[in-house]
Amino acid sequence: MDLKEIKTVIDLMTKNGLTEFELEKGQFKIRICKDGQGTPQYTMQAPVPTIAHAPTYLQPSPAAHVADSAPKISLPSINSPMVGTFYGSPSPDSSPYAVVGTQVNEESVICIIEAMKVMNEIKAEMSGIITEVLGESGKPVEFGQPLFRIKPL
Amino acid sequence: MFEKVLIANRGEIALRIIRACKELGVHSVAVYSEADQDSLHVQLADEAICIGKAPSNESYLKIDRIISAAEIADVDAIHPGYGFLSEKAHFAEVCESCHIKFIGPSADSIRRMGDKAIARDTARKAGVPITPGSDGPVETEQEAIRVAKKIGYPVMIKAVAGGGGKGMRPAHNDVSLVQGFHAARMEAEKAFGNPSVYMEKLIINPHHIEFQIMADTKGKIVHVGERDCSIQRRNQKLLEESPSPLLTADLRKKMGRAAIKLAESVNYVNAGTLEFLMDDAGNYYFMEMNTRIQVEHPVTEEVYGVDLVKEQIRIAAGEPLGKDFDDLKPLRHAIEFRVNAEDPFNNFQPSPGKIDLYYAPGGHGIRVDSHVYGGYSIPPYYDSMIGKIIAIGRDRKTALDRMTRALDETIIRGIRTTIPLGQLILKDVEFRRGKYSTSFVQNLMDQRAQLMPQYDLK
Repeated sequence: MDLKEIKTVIDLMTKNGLTEFELEKGQFKIRICKDGQGTPQYTMQAPVPTIAHAPTYLQPSPAAHVADSAPKISLPSINSPMVGTFYGSPSPDSSPYAVVGTQVNEESVICIIEAMKVMNEIKAEMSGIITEVLGESGKPVEFGQPLFRIKPL
Repeated sequence: MFEKVLIANRGEIALRIIRACKELGVHSVAVYSEADQDSLHVQLADEAICIGKAPSNESYLKIDRIISAAEIADVDAIHPGYGFLSEKAHFAEVCESCHIKFIGPSADSIRRMGDKAIARDTARKAGVPITPGSDGPVETEQEAIRVAKKIGYPVMIKAVAGGGGKGMRPAHNDVSLVQGFHAARMEAEKAFGNPSVYMEKLIINPHHIEFQIMADTKGKIVHVGERDCSIQRRNQKLLEESPSPLLTADLRKKMGRAAIKLAESVNYVNAGTLEFLMDDAGNYYFMEMNTRIQVEHPVTEEVYGVDLVKEQIRIAAGEPLGKDFDDLKPLRHAIEFRVNAEDPFNNFQPSPGKIDLYYAPGGHGIRVDSHVYGGYSIPPYYDSMIGKIIAIGRDRKTALDRMTRALDETIIRGIRTTIPLGQLILKDVEFRRGKYSTSFVQNLMDQRAQLMPQYDLK
């Protein structure tokens, strides 16, 4: 979480009269408590390399598996909404839908994900400029897998 | 044999199937929701594919995502486990149309046996006893008395349009039958706008006895004995054992034969379980059939020395039933206790959260089927079963003593579990005598509630 996101959470807590908020994601953990005066205090736990009691052989499996282990304060990504095969362009001969620098809006088609013989056009659903193309044409993608990195406008 | 199998499930059963795949030299593909990223089945499979957000209907129940995952991983077959899509005929059909083998019976078998009315009818046609009842609504007092005479007291009068316990009256003789008949009709009219009632035999203190069957594609069907699952609370099983303290060798033969006959009549293939209700006199009645592997399958595996999950995969791959299934005999006694992340003395409130310390029981005669580990956080989105402890012994007493020992030495810290309830059940004199029915657990809890009003036995 970056500072802006933390401030958003605090505002939401104030607005809704909440006194405690806790979020755990992978090895990142944050807890925000409001004391009697309504002043928020928070503790943030830095990521630790291994889980204390877990046996040593428990490592994330290498193939086709996205493990998000450290908090990234970086540009947002557009993630896959389905399971299938990624294609960056409408056909092998045409130019890609989106490359680094392409400006997109909510309705822009940025790629195709083929699932069960159906070609699904995937929209950006946000406005911004593509900064990284993470999907590889012809390669399988799983749900939630980052496809592009985008600088929001 | 298949090259690759996708496991369309999670938790301990996914782990179980992955283990069977590893032993068969089959490449395993796990699917998981975002909440199950750290799950053991994801770690141990050869490949893992994320298929959606935490809620089941956004992940484990999404047929399109599971089939997509199966396609991108290029699997030959899918094992559905239990729950989720395992008894959805439509899912079996989709697998078939995508040329992926569904490890289980045909879509048709699932559909037929999934419909209680059709299943009952199939049983009746196969000559398998079903809960006696009227052939439809009962219109008059006289008819009611006639039906009661035919099926024998006690009976239950039930509203045809009924539910929620309304429009139901038990009757133990002609007098209470007539009274109950009219009362039930009046209540049904008020509650459902339809006074029609039918009748069913009321089984006092029923026992839940189920039979495991295995069938290959060559037409061979065997039964692998029974499991007594009467230890239940609100129709949820807590503990299962085999052999049943209630069954004689003769009853086992009769019921086993009935189970096979029913499976034969629908050309059943792969693993299945036929559930019967039994009264204290040894009368048994077919209730329903489960067309999948069951939670309590380890009990059967330990008693008969077989591997049901491996055999499911083999059968689906076209192999005939293995030699382990020739000449089946109960070799020992086994008891399984389901460990749920629930507080048994606080209305079974679910207790998700992080397990700080986990020590599983072990030693001679103990098997543990569980997907949890120290440091694992139990997600709140799925059922609360976190593992099964199976105690095996040469006879019932040995198995009971082992289970007691195992429950006493288990440590699961950080969450509440149903282990203290298990310990109570194992100490109970009637249970140790093998005298229990489906009312046992509720009675035990009521007794305890009466004796310990202020204290909290944790």
